Amino acid sequence: MTARQNAGETRETAVRQDSDIAIVATAQLPAVRRQELTETEMLLMVVDEALDKVGLKRSDIGFSCQGSCDYISGGTFSFVPNLDAMGAWPPIHESHVEMDGAWAMYEAWVRLKHGDIDIAVAMGSGKSSTGDPAAMYPLELDPYYLAPLGLDPVSLAALQARQLIESGKTTERELAEIAARSRRDAAGNPNQQVRGAEQDVDKLLAEGYLRNPLRKSDLPPISDGACAVVLVRGPRAAELTERPAWITGLDHRSEVHNPALRDLTDSASTRIAGQRAGGVAGVEVAELMAPFTAQEVILRQSLGLAEDVVINPSGGALTGNPLMATGLVRIAAAADQILINGRSRTLGHATSGPALQQNLVCVLEGDTGAEGDPAAKGDNR
Amino acid sequence: MTVSTQTVSTIQFPYKRTLGPVMGRFFSELTARRIVGIRSGERVIVPPMEYDPETGNELAHDFVEVGPAGTVRSWTWVAEPIESHPLDRPFAFVLVRLDGADTDLVHVLDAGSEDAVHTGMRVAPRWRDEPVGRIDDIVCFVPGEHADSPEGEPGEAQDVTTMEYFSKITYTDVLSPTLVRYANNLRAGRLTGQRCPQCNRVFLGRGYCSVDAILLGPELDEVLPDRGVVSNYTIITPTPYPGQKETEPFARASVVLEGDEMVIAQQQILDIPVSEIRVGMRVRAEWMPDAERDAAEITSKGWGTVAGFIKGWRHTGEPDEPAEQYMNRVF
Ligand SMILES: [Zn+2]
Repeated sequence: MTARQNAGETRETAVRQDSDIAIVATAQLPAVRRQELTETEMLLMVVDEALDKVGLKRSDIGFSCQGSCDYISGGTFSFVPNLDAMGAWPPIHESHVEMDGAWAMYEAWVRLKHGDIDIAVAMGSGKSSTGDPAAMYPLELDPYYLAPLGLDPVSLAALQARQLIESGKTTERELAEIAARSRRDAAGNPNQQVRGAEQDVDKLLAEGYLRNPLRKSDLPPISDGACAVVLVRGPRAAELTERPAWITGLDHRSEVHNPALRDLTDSASTRIAGQRAGGVAGVEVAELMAPFTAQEVILRQSLGLAEDVVINPSGGALTGNPLMATGLVRIAAAADQILINGRSRTLGHATSGPALQQNLVCVLEGDTGAEGDPAAKGDNR
Repeated sequence: MTVSTQTVSTIQFPYKRTLGPVMGRFFSELTARRIVGIRSGERVIVPPMEYDPETGNELAHDFVEVGPAGTVRSWTWVAEPIESHPLDRPFAFVLVRLDGADTDLVHVLDAGSEDAVHTGMRVAPRWRDEPVGRIDDIVCFVPGEHADSPEGEPGEAQDVTTMEYFSKITYTDVLSPTLVRYANNLRAGRLTGQRCPQCNRVFLGRGYCSVDAILLGPELDEVLPDRGVVSNYTIITPTPYPGQKETEPFARASVVLEGDEMVIAQQQILDIPVSEIRVGMRVRAEWMPDAERDAAEITSKGWGTVAGFIKGWRHTGEPDEPAEQYMNRVF
């Protein structure tokens, strides 16, 4: 059965309730190697852009939540000046997670579920350019057994990729094909950082290893960037935009921290989060946060995505990786597939922690009447 | 003369962590050149955890000696080690399944060359000469069945209860265009900010209005007076800690710039006893000499600072302003 036939089945049960929540607008800054603006200025710009798309003002916002990381920015309490992007006077309702903005979106979604406010903004921002990820990231690992070994994220991804290859679940050629496809897609997306890079699979395979079995093309760039999404509850979503991206499922799961205690070729947390978010039946496009090529294979297999599902048409984390925003960018890209491109069912995924430790899955749907025709807005509520 | 737009800073944390009975036992055994895991149902977990990773249930302290040899289950080659890596020559990160264990241990392998490494190869630990009870008491693994040990028998296991870990991160902060203009003006002895067209407040060193959440561009730059009024202060009795340079009680004051609401916090008041500082006191900036002005304290985080350019503030001798006018301008 194809994704489209599956999608038809799911649509029959999709009746919007007043308590349903949709993404109505997204905005991001292009991922770049070094952004000269401060994080606060980056957030001001993406919040402005996202609100402008649906004609909202900051005073319309009932709740906002940011995702950022002091370890990355190198400043204590950097979320405090970042809050200036929302204008915190008179006092506002807001929160912060020391995680990717996708988890900030999760908190905003939970907050909207309370039912007393209708509009929330979630943000993610980060500037990896300020530090050296290879030296910094071991510090997020287990401080007793792992951090003293300086296990950097690329080496860890290589240990994972080798097990995937040697278990027969992928090949170096498939990884190079993922890199080539991501680079082709990135060439058409001005928000991505790696754009004019080599796209020929044989030429990529001819390049030397950076960390055997990973080549440079299997790795993400070091990026700065920011992203914001506007979430709206109930009927207001359809008043604000032609075709809201309804969140029909959102779940996140975590596994044991020490990657050596897990089966690195599988992602049980992704599988459970995907099931709890409503499953992948009918999903046409999946934006998976896979900063390393091999992780895309693991995520695809764990979610059980069909062959005809379009993976990462944005170019993915492999071609733009503004940490603390990368996951929210994936969800924003999945939402834009509905808001702008008329897709019916899409999936956004975010990950956090070493070697896919924690995973968040967001399933989105657009209102559709007859097969393939977007319905008049809100009519099937 | 323009300022450097880049600041490099290193933060360091000397941690001392308690280990508890499970990790403490593992690290204690390392000092006697033994590796132990912990039984979790049918499995032996190495390195040991306090809880079953599948269920989260606490595990009984049933320790099992494993290894010392084991089998490589995955590897990658690091051709150019960096400072935070444990070896300073090319090496492999490996997952090792120690004999008798059911989980893998992350460690490093000193194999000489990439060609010598493959999944399934047998490896054994090289022990540190003087063990201290850390994971790097195993300096690395080496190819073969036999541990590489210092001369002589190991002593009794030490009772290791804590672990020291020195954490260090270096950041390179590049100033935003707003901050570059701000720092260049400070270098020239001018305090500048942007006035918000919506609320008429002035903000220095940030480039946006914190109240209205709008960007403030260079067209809104204006030179601000380097005079003001003390709106708040605190007297600090220093306690010694690494980096503390003060030994006598000292004051930190907030200064409201003359004619505006902008508060510059954490300022020194010069040349008077701390007991004579008061709210309402009129002060004027004492600028650093040209040659000593330095933008190192200005970063893209936070809300702007005058540190590195203004040494402190000196009483002008004029009569005080009424203190009650400054009650809402403390910070
Ligand atoms: Zn203003």
